[in-house]
Amino acid sequence: MSASDAFGLLGCGLLGLAAVATLIPLRRLPAGARYAVMLAAALAVFIPFGDLPAAAYLRGVTGDVSVTTLVLAGAACIARLTGRTLIGPRDLRALFWLVVLAALFLYPFALGWTQFDPYALGYGSIDFLTALLLVTLAAWRAKLYALMFIVIAAALAHLAGAYESRNLWDYLIDPLVCSYALARLLAHLRQFAPQFVRSRRAQDV
Amino acid sequence: MTRERWLRWGSLAAAALVFAGLYVRHLTLPSPGGFAPARAARAASPAAPLYGAELLPNSTAPSVHSATAAEISGGRLRAFWYGGSREGAPDVAIYTSVYSPKEETWSPERAVITRELAQRHLRRSVRKLGNPVAGRDRAGRLCLFFVSVSVGGWAGSAINLMVSEDEGETWGPPRRLVASPFFNISTLVKGAPLQFADGATGLPVYHEFLGKFGELLRLDAPGHVIQKTRLSWGQSSLQPVIVPRSEAEAVGFMRYAGDPPNRILMIRTSDGGEHWSAPVKTALPNPNAAIASVLLADGRVLLAFNNAGENREDLSLALSEDFGDTWRIVRRLEGDPGSPGAPVPEYSYPWIVQDGAGEIHVLYTWGRSRIKHAHFNTAWLEKGR
Repeated sequence: MSASDAFGLLGCGLLGLAAVATLIPLRRLPAGARYAVMLAAALAVFIPFGDLPAAAYLRGVTGDVSVTTLVLAGAACIARLTGRTLIGPRDLRALFWLVVLAALFLYPFALGWTQFDPYALGYGSIDFLTALLLVTLAAWRAKLYALMFIVIAAALAHLAGAYESRNLWDYLIDPLVCSYALARLLAHLRQFAPQFVRSRRAQDV
Repeated sequence: MTRERWLRWGSLAAAALVFAGLYVRHLTLPSPGGFAPARAARAASPAAPLYGAELLPNSTAPSVHSATAAEISGGRLRAFWYGGSREGAPDVAIYTSVYSPKEETWSPERAVITRELAQRHLRRSVRKLGNPVAGRDRAGRLCLFFVSVSVGGWAGSAINLMVSEDEGETWGPPRRLVASPFFNISTLVKGAPLQFADGATGLPVYHEFLGKFGELLRLDAPGHVIQKTRLSWGQSSLQPVIVPRSEAEAVGFMRYAGDPPNRILMIRTSDGGEHWSAPVKTALPNPNAAIASVLLADGRVLLAFNNAGENREDLSLALSEDFGDTWRIVRRLEGDPGSPGAPVPEYSYPWIVQDGAGEIHVLYTWGRSRIKHAHFNTAWLEKGR
């Protein structure tokens, strides 16, 4: 098995584990049972039945998932197992906004809307690298270290050629994490919209 | 130093190192060259018109489609196509056969890759196989690109690459090409690969998920996509074929899937494929069907196409002496009234190769049940005018 296949399967498997950890109320179980459930899930995900393991079926659908998805999936597993939150709400909100904005820039054009193809920038563009550097520096200034960590990890994986892709975009985002980020942002806005409306009404009175 | 200060300055140092790596990699990338000169075929010499045709062997598959071929050692031709119980069925495999010009016979067909084998090597589920495309990389190795689908119809396609070091007798495991950020779906292949002067391989591909448009991928020696250029955009152009003439110049043709009038689309580049003109309609009809084209050794462009606006019952050849500006239809390969045809009158998905001896080979789907091989010389083309 090539290193890129191993890394790709590991990513999809971790995504599967995060789904299991989220769907099952692990926190209600004793610590030993939590680890036993996750171990059983890991076996189910990575042990082949028939020709392929479940992770390979997931990989057939999703392709290789981005490093951002990997980090979020890993953080979700750890949070469900140990109760420790690795990424704070402020970092998460900033990450979600950034991911959604990147998706709005990338996908419509990459899917053929115009002759401009932002996906091609990911193969090597000074402008793209500089924009990413500025975002990283802004994250550093704002002390959003989780966001910095994700960009650094994605760039390292890209430099190492960890996936089949040689395009930096594929290490930064994927449609799954974009959908997830959009859903979380919409939920957040829905939560705060009534407060905003109430405060505006109060001002009107 | 406190943990906060470690985090603050350590993260900045890590970012600086990683971005330095990204910039260094980018700045040390070789600048893309133009097209490599095409392998020289022998120019046409005065000769008697020659023409022959036969059906390729097919002992197992009720349905076959999408032939492709490359010249191999000894002036032979190795063809590939996909076949199975029907298009898109799980039992579809990519088959190969070798044509010997001396005996004018094809070897019995054999499967090169099946769905199960592709699934095992690609380490992901594969539901069906599709279009193969054959060519050579700059090292001279035989390359076989083929489409596979994991979910949905052809819009869910991805491209895979297999390489052979022994002219197609044995093959390395397939690897996946990544050409789209959206689950890497909706990338298909039909046109012949080409070579760039810097050693990269060019692969014309097309997308048909939300839009239908063409792109030219640039692959490095191991077969990774390292750059791509958009050939068209929107919802009406697909299956590009690219015909380079010099390091800078190339013309491309595309299948048209838009509103009438149904015409073959043409694009051009004059900077080695970095920028392409917007597609324009040629005078040649196109019933939303694949086309094939090649630059002949004498500098003319030969095109195989369905000469009808609505169906695939007429397969014809056209020649251009001015690199695609004007065309003369010189021969009809299929569709002559009164001539015996296939049970299903569909002649489609042509593929053209001019071999080193100057003979021209056209392979195409014959009634969806067989692949047909027509071979002729330029004298036969001239006589058809």
